Amino acid sequence: MTDNYNPYSLVGKTILVTGAGSGIGRATAIEASRLGGRIILVDINEAGIVETKGMLDGQELEHLYYVVDLCDESAIDAMVKELPVINGCSNNAGITKLTPIQFITAEEMERIHKVNLIAPMLLTKYLLKRKKLSRPASIVFTASAGGVFVASPGNAVYATSKCGVDGYMRTAALELAPKGIRCNSVNPGMVETPLINRGQVTAEQHEKDKENYPLGRYGKPEDVALATIYLLSDASSWMTGTALKIDGGLTLK
Amino acid sequence: MKNPFSLQGKTVLITGAAGGIGSETAKILTELGARVILTDIREEPLNLVLESLVPPSEGSHLAIKADLTNEEDINNLVVACPNIDGLVCNAGVMKLTPVPFISETELKRIQSINLNAPILLTKSLLRKKKIQKGGSIVFTASAAGVYRVSIGNSIYATTKCGIDAFMRTVALEMGPKGIRCNSVNPGMVETALIGSFTEEEKEKEKLNYPLRRFAKPEDIAYGIAYLLSDASSFVTGTALKIDGGMTLG
Repeated sequence: MTDNYNPYSLVGKTILVTGAGSGIGRATAIEASRLGGRIILVDINEAGIVETKGMLDGQELEHLYYVVDLCDESAIDAMVKELPVINGCSNNAGITKLTPIQFITAEEMERIHKVNLIAPMLLTKYLLKRKKLSRPASIVFTASAGGVFVASPGNAVYATSKCGVDGYMRTAALELAPKGIRCNSVNPGMVETPLINRGQVTAEQHEKDKENYPLGRYGKPEDVALATIYLLSDASSWMTGTALKIDGGLTLK
Repeated sequence: MKNPFSLQGKTVLITGAAGGIGSETAKILTELGARVILTDIREEPLNLVLESLVPPSEGSHLAIKADLTNEEDINNLVVACPNIDGLVCNAGVMKLTPVPFISETELKRIQSINLNAPILLTKSLLRKKKIQKGGSIVFTASAAGVYRVSIGNSIYATTKCGIDAFMRTVALEMGPKGIRCNSVNPGMVETALIGSFTEEEKEKEKLNYPLRRFAKPEDIAYGIAYLLSDASSFVTGTALKIDGGMTLG
């Protein structure tokens, strides 16, 4: 083996990760730093991102963090104004809440759509407008198998937001390809993160749900993080507009 | 720190390894630390590929000539093959034929190489328990057929759709045994397979690709390496589209 050979390396790249205070975002930030990237952490939860920052490799690269409410357009723009030029962006911040359709409220729907769908669209817009994306660059969206490949009861609001991300990702891929900016998504099944909400779903229900996964388990944040890294790296330089399903076989039957 | 995409300690069987995506995959997998077993019907170029590889840290790479349209050759290959952690079913052929000109001979030949051979090889390796737990199977399918059709390409497209269905079924059946199965689905790649197009046709065709180029074999090989590595250990039943954005518009 060629010792330092790694086509998935992020050495020399600056990568912005939203939702970096926990779960998949934290794992993505950590793995990306291990692969040599300089990381810019974004989250609304300051304690979470400070903790993530302490867990990163390559502290000499002076990783940055921004505490930002991504539902606030002016806050997004203010952050982008301060950013250095970046080579990759993992749009990962997301929220979910299970609600049967007859109980959906406009307020709840707007909150979820704002974080999951509108925020990544606005962040991408301002990154482009303020010329903060290098060429080439890679944008990765954390979409979901939910909505895009499979429906599940109570998940309508989340599913529509992720289908929106899917439609946006493919449109952005098409529009931005001439600029050398690639757009792809990772589409996980259930991942063991704070988002899977032990409050609404019991541990027993989760164990039963795992039987729907041919691989017999849920994903780990690292599973999604490493796929994101593949899409951020030059190893995927001919990939754009692809939804990468990471679901342990959930959607096969 | 260990590279999460490393293939150190893994043995991988690659079909169609004498050229194109197959030989590039052999090069990249070995550089990521894998030991490889190469097979192809073309013995001389196969041996040249074998000689060009960096040696593995343990054991040695092997090249085994086989005609995968011949079940006896498949069986001999499986017997000669050590236990493996990865299988790359990559051998494939293509010939453009408008529908009214399809002949049964041509249909059978292309299906035999692109579809029947990977099915029978996978079956035989599983039957003989040559694929270890935690193993990963990767098929070189295509964007053609699975995501897009193009004029004259019906036979190739049907074989690749067949592979897509087989890949998903194997993923479902073998998931509980800890064996994953996925495909890479490339658009046009600069290999001998597209030799039947004129330069002019190729330049015109590139305009259909938002990234304005065809793939290099390595673009596909990196996808294969990702799917073979433990970095993708929750990925099974996935068709990984690598197409320069061709299927978007």
